[in-house]
Order: sequence, then structure tokens, then C-alpha cells
Amino acid sequence: MSDANPLAEPVGDKVAPPAVLVVFGASGDLTSRKLMPAVERLALRRLLPAGFSVVGVARTELSDDDFRERMRTTVEKLGGGGDEAGPVWAAFTGGFRYVAGDYGDEATFDRLKSVLDELDRERGTSGNRLYYLATPPGTFPVIVDALAEHGLNRPTTDGAFVRIVIEKPYGHDEQSARDLDTRVHAAFAEEQVYRIDHYLGKETVQNVLALRFANTIFEPIWNRRYVDHVQITVAEELGVGHRGGFYEKAGALRDIVQNHVMQVLALTLMEPPATFDADGIRDEKVKALKAVDILSPDDVAEHVVRAQYTSGWVGGEEVPGYREEEGVDPHSQTETYMAMRLLVDNWRWAGVPFYVRTGKRLPKRVTEVAMEFQRPPHLPFKASQAMGLAPDALVLRIQPDEGITLRFGAKVPGQAFQVRSVSMDFFYGAAFLEETPEAYERLLLDALVGDQTLFIRTDEVEQAWRIVDPILTAWADETVPLARYEAGSWGPAEADQLLSRDGRRWRKP
Amino acid sequence: MAEAVTADVTSPINTLGSWEGDGVTVAQIAAALSDLRRHEQRAAVRTSVLTLVAVVRDPEVVDGTIETVRELGTRHPSRTLVLVIADTDEDPGIDATVSVHALRSQGPTVCFEDVVLRVRGPARWHLDSLIEPFTLPDLPVAVWLPNRLPSLGDPLLDTADRVVVDTRAIGARPDSLAQVSRLLRKLPVTDLSWVRIAPWRSLLAGLFEGHASRPFLDHVTRIEVAGHFGPRHLMAGWLMATLELTRAHVHTEEAEHVSIRITAEHEGRVGRFSVERPAAERVIHSSVDIDDGPTVEQTWRLRDRWPSRSLADALTRIGDDPVYRRALRGALELL
Repeated sequence: MSDANPLAEPVGDKVAPPAVLVVFGASGDLTSRKLMPAVERLALRRLLPAGFSVVGVARTELSDDDFRERMRTTVEKLGGGGDEAGPVWAAFTGGFRYVAGDYGDEATFDRLKSVLDELDRERGTSGNRLYYLATPPGTFPVIVDALAEHGLNRPTTDGAFVRIVIEKPYGHDEQSARDLDTRVHAAFAEEQVYRIDHYLGKETVQNVLALRFANTIFEPIWNRRYVDHVQITVAEELGVGHRGGFYEKAGALRDIVQNHVMQVLALTLMEPPATFDADGIRDEKVKALKAVDILSPDDVAEHVVRAQYTSGWVGGEEVPGYREEEGVDPHSQTETYMAMRLLVDNWRWAGVPFYVRTGKRLPKRVTEVAMEFQRPPHLPFKASQAMGLAPDALVLRIQPDEGITLRFGAKVPGQAFQVRSVSMDFFYGAAFLEETPEAYERLLLDALVGDQTLFIRTDEVEQAWRIVDPILTAWADETVPLARYEAGSWGPAEADQLLSRDGRRWRKP
Repeated sequence: MAEAVTADVTSPINTLGSWEGDGVTVAQIAAALSDLRRHEQRAAVRTSVLTLVAVVRDPEVVDGTIETVRELGTRHPSRTLVLVIADTDEDPGIDATVSVHALRSQGPTVCFEDVVLRVRGPARWHLDSLIEPFTLPDLPVAVWLPNRLPSLGDPLLDTADRVVVDTRAIGARPDSLAQVSRLLRKLPVTDLSWVRIAPWRSLLAGLFEGHASRPFLDHVTRIEVAGHFGPRHLMAGWLMATLELTRAHVHTEEAEHVSIRITAEHEGRVGRFSVERPAAERVIHSSVDIDDGPTVEQTWRLRDRWPSRSLADALTRIGDDPVYRRALRGALELL
């Protein structure tokens, strides 16, 4: 009999092997808001085995029991817990441990090592480790180095795994991403590294792959012969909130475009993969990003808009301008909105502009990819009969109300022959009312079972920075003026001009 | 006659409209359904994934069946047809109730409908002719028989892409598992008893993940399975067939709830593995106890609304289930 578990279901949900999840930054916000609720839901869905254990590491002094209680309260506060979860969670947290200490202190990692050995003996975790860096980016190299120095970066038994999950931001520009990679690769092989972008864990982002590659009706028109242009919108109605200090250093380009937008762009551009495995998909994404035309300083001046919100009204509430937000410099030059036109130099997309925009304090939260098609070569109607006819469009809505909208022309009922556009909506959630896993739940389980498909490979990070870096450089010279837009609007007039120069205009999502 | 309906604000399911008629024709019922949908804007958009047909002969299970299919609407927006078959040829005819419901979930409102037909007289031998007019075009038809098995020649099966049965609800009939096996040769079958024991199976499988416990699976000395007729045999049959054991290794006994105990010996150490549901609680406990090795326990709570959940799970996976086939083969060996 092989080492595979013959009782495991051949299809369906994957179940994690017994392992220890080591969370660095265990007393932090990400652990409370995302990781622990994800762990709880995985436990409730029976996707974590009995021996599964969690070790929290952070500077805050806590006992094992304090840590368990803190995680229980956290999960309950976010709507978990309750009758169904109570007994499950109580049994489950038996495998929770806590190590208090500074990441730069050797003693922290000595204690961690002995706790991990103890869990292997008592709970049968077999030397399997998943390290999760839920800490500020400045600590990544320190923790990675310390893990290697203590021999915690490699499996100690045959068949065991040691993996590391690294949160964004992965570097703050191309060079710093490369430097971080050098440090990470000195301790971990690429197969051990899971760079997380929670956008890829979203069910509907993955549905872009299903839509494109499980159907024959979309792919033939998914190219320059039929598509006039593509608009990618990632809009948020929220401002920076309490993240002003962080956002001042990041801005929309680093916070959203370098990661989320580039991932959505890659999934839209990519060729069909030969295989639906990690490298099959990631190879195609890298090829797609490589084909994106790099912007020269002149291109940035002409085809990129950056802007910052001023006070205004969003959702019936008056909101302050960015410079009035907590932790923000009153003379800040940080962009809260950016729009750009990209071109893609390959057979499929040559000449098709991709307009990308993202911003905070826009009228509503929406992420979508809208493909507008070319007009028919000849309309056999009089112009007056097709006044209400817009070009056909296919819109992939990623959030909220995930689904697809197809806009096409239809005859208006009546004696006269009038054609106007109609929209046909498919709501993903109306066809499948399944309880879909949250992004972190999905990605955590993938990391535990060793599936890297939805994690970012090192060359993807590099390609994304390759596209974004020239824009950062051009902006650093301050040759591109910072436009302003009123909170609650769809962005500055300059962004409208970006499209109107090409005879096009932004959709209203 | 059409009937006004008040919305139940506490339920996510809102009945938008309903219609009832006694001694009606299929054409009248179809027209009523169409009218209900046409005059209700909220029902205009629908995204269905299947047509579900429930066929009930026992009056005692009618209400439970209707309730289950309505709850199912919250998982599988579909058209549901409930056929209640009278056991008499007297007063032949069809009485119908048609309802259109809206479910407000996180996103847009989702609409689904159910049609309940009470069938008397000769039509009850030609149920396929009642089903066809109500099936949604191009979507699979699942036929659910809550507490019986169809005969292989039943014309009902000609309309079905999948049959859903429940070997536990059928009762302790020695030939029932063999009959399911014959049915499986004709078309895909989902057994709700098999679906219901999925938590036991996955918890059990989880106990053998990892280097500490996996080797014990190759050296099982005894398996004990308790439970009702049906699930007990499927569980035991699955373990026997999957682990390539003989009948002598497997011991079964009648009990209210399913429980499994596996004893194994590896390199001189004994490992005890169990998944059990205590009598009065809606939880399942699983545990591993290896001599000089790990001892861990896990608890999982059974969810409420069990019938509709297991039916929803059954309808989610619509392909062939080779593991069920193997379990059934093992169960037949054990009988």
C-alpha cells in the first residue's frame, strides 16, 4: 500500500495533513480578523485533522491559555463561535500554544523549536510546519534569517514539509522585492514559499478562469479581432480610515495596482494553460505580464493619472478629504486614485488598450473587468433607428454581486424598428447558494496541502514591479501633477480625458 | 384560484404567490405557474441548476418532504415537483398547488418554485407523463424517493438523470442494498444514508493523516461499526473494501447512531482510532490513542436542518461516486 491515505476522499474538499501553523504576529490585527476566523471555519468544515496545532508568536506576553481565550473571543466577535462551534473550538484549541518574544531574540526561536518538537510528540504533527508572517514587512528578513539559523527552515523528517506564507507588500519597488527574495531564497526554496494575495482566494476571481477556459463561447471573441478595449475597475467607497500612516507610504499604486490589479489583469490577458496546476497557470500569467508594454516617462505623463480625494459625500455621509485623515500629512502628495492606459504586445491583444482605474472614496465598492466589443462593420439600420445602441459588452463582476453581464442590442417592441441595448445579468450567487469559503480560508488550506496555484510566484512579483516601477520613478520626479477629485465622484476630470482622447469613456459600474 | 400571500419577514424565504386547483389538467397547472411568474417582477430573473422531482406514496412523509424541498431552495435554486401518489384508483384526477418563492440572500433575490401534485387514478402509473411538462429545459432531473426504491422497469426512471434514495429510510430489508446495486447499473444513484455519514468518514480519514498514524492503516486487526441497517453496512463495507480486509476483521451491530472503532498494531504498538456519536448529543467525537505516541481528540457538531442539508449535499455532486460503489460492494459481502 502506498503512503497515500486510502480513506481520504478521491474528490471533493482537500483535508489538511496534521501540521503546526506558526503565526508570527499572533497578537496582531490580521491574525484576529482573518487568520483565526479562517482556521475556525476550516475546523468546522472538518478540513483540519485532529492533531492540527497552532503556535502564536508575538512580542506581547501571553500564556497558552491567554492565547486560546483571546482567539476564542476574536472569533466570536467576528460572528463565529456559537452553539455549533463551541465544542469543536474547545477541543481544537487544545493544540494551541504561544511563544512570547522579540523576533530578533535568539531565545524566541529556541523556545519555538522546543514547542514544535513537543507538539510533534504529543499531537503527531510529524514535523510539518506552515509559518505565516502576519507581521509588518520590515520583520520579514529578520524572521526568515532566524528560522534558518535555528534549522527550522527545512524538514527534519522524511516526507514532512516546511512552508512559509508571506503577506503583501512584497517589497516597495522592484529592487527591494529582489532584495527580499534573495533573503527568502537563502533560507527557503521557491517551492516552500507562498506569497499571498487574498484577491486570488476569492471564489469569483477563480471563476474568471472557469468562465474563460471551461467554455467555448467566450474564448473565440476574447482577442483584438473583437475587443475594442478593456476597462478594469477596482473601486472602494471607504477612505484610508486608521491606515493613514501606512497608506502615506504606499498609495494606490503599491496598495492595489501592483498586486490585486496585476493579478486580475494577468487572468484576463493570459493564454489557456495546458494544465490546471500551479506552474501551468503561473507560467501563463507571467507570459501575459511580460507582454505588457513598459511605460516611458513620456507615456506616464500622457497615459497615467494620479489623484487624491478631497472632502465630499459618500453614501449620504459627509467625509473628509485625504489630507484631513488621521495620520496623513496635510501636504501629502500620495495618490488615492490612479488610472492608466496599458498596451499589450502580443498576438492576442496588440492594439487593444487596457484602461485600469482604482481609487478610494469612489461612489461604491466594485471590482470588474469590462470588455467592450467593436461595433458591427455595417449597421443596416438608419442612424435614428439605432440611437440607443451601445457597443456590445461583456462584464465580469468580481465584487459585489459577482457574475456576468452581457450587453447586446435588441428590437424595441412595437411597429417601429428601433434597436436599443439591453443587459442580461447572470448572478453567480443566484445559481449556486453554496457556502463559499472565504479567501483566507481557501488560501490557508491550499498552503497546508501544498497547492501553490493561487499564490504568487517570484517571477510574477518581478513582472508586476517591472510594470509599476517606471510609474513610481516618473512620479518621484513630480513631473506628473497630482489631480484632485471630490469624494463620492468617479475620479478626476484628467481620468475622463485619458479615455476621451481615444474617443472612449469610462463605464459607470 | 389565485391566492394572496403575506410575506413572512422573519424567514429569508418569501412566498411571492401561490395557486391551488382541484381536478385540474397539466396545461392549467403550467399556465398558473407561468402567470405567477409573469406577474411578479421579482420572479422574472431565475438561475436554475436542476429540476428536482420528489415522489411520495406514504401520507406520513408528505409534509416533511415538502418542507425539505422548500428548505433546499436556499441551497439549490431549482424547480421542484412533489408528486403525492394516492393508493387508490377511485376519483381519478390531479389536485395541484403551485408556489413561487423568493429568497433574499447576500446578493440579488433568487426565485424558485414548487409544484405539488396529488395524483389519483391511472395517472399514478404514468408519472413520467406528469414530470416531462414541468422539467426545465436542458437541466438535469433528479428524482428523489424519500423512503422506497423504484422497480427497474418504472417509467419514472426514464425521466431521471439521477435517482436519490435513502437505504436507512427504506428499513432493514435484506434485499434493498442489492436492489440499489442493480439500480446503479441503470443510472447514477445517490444514497442519502451515504451522504449523511460523510462527516464520520472524513473524520475517520483525518485520523490516519500523517506519519504517526498512517502506518497503522496497513495493519488493522479489528473494525467495529455500529448503526442502523443501511449506513452501518455501507460504512463497514467501505472500510472492508478500501482496506482490503476480510469479513472476519469486521464486526457490526445495531445502534441508534453510527460509531466506528478501529484497532491496529504496528511495530509492537497498538493504536486505537474511533469516531463516535454519543447517544443524546448532536456531536461526533473522534480520537487517536497510540501506545507511546500521540493521543488527540476532536469534536464536530452536527448541523441542524439535516434532511435538507444532506439532500443539498447529494445534489451538489452530480457525477458518479466510485467510492459509494465500492462501499456498496463491501456491504453486500457483509450481508
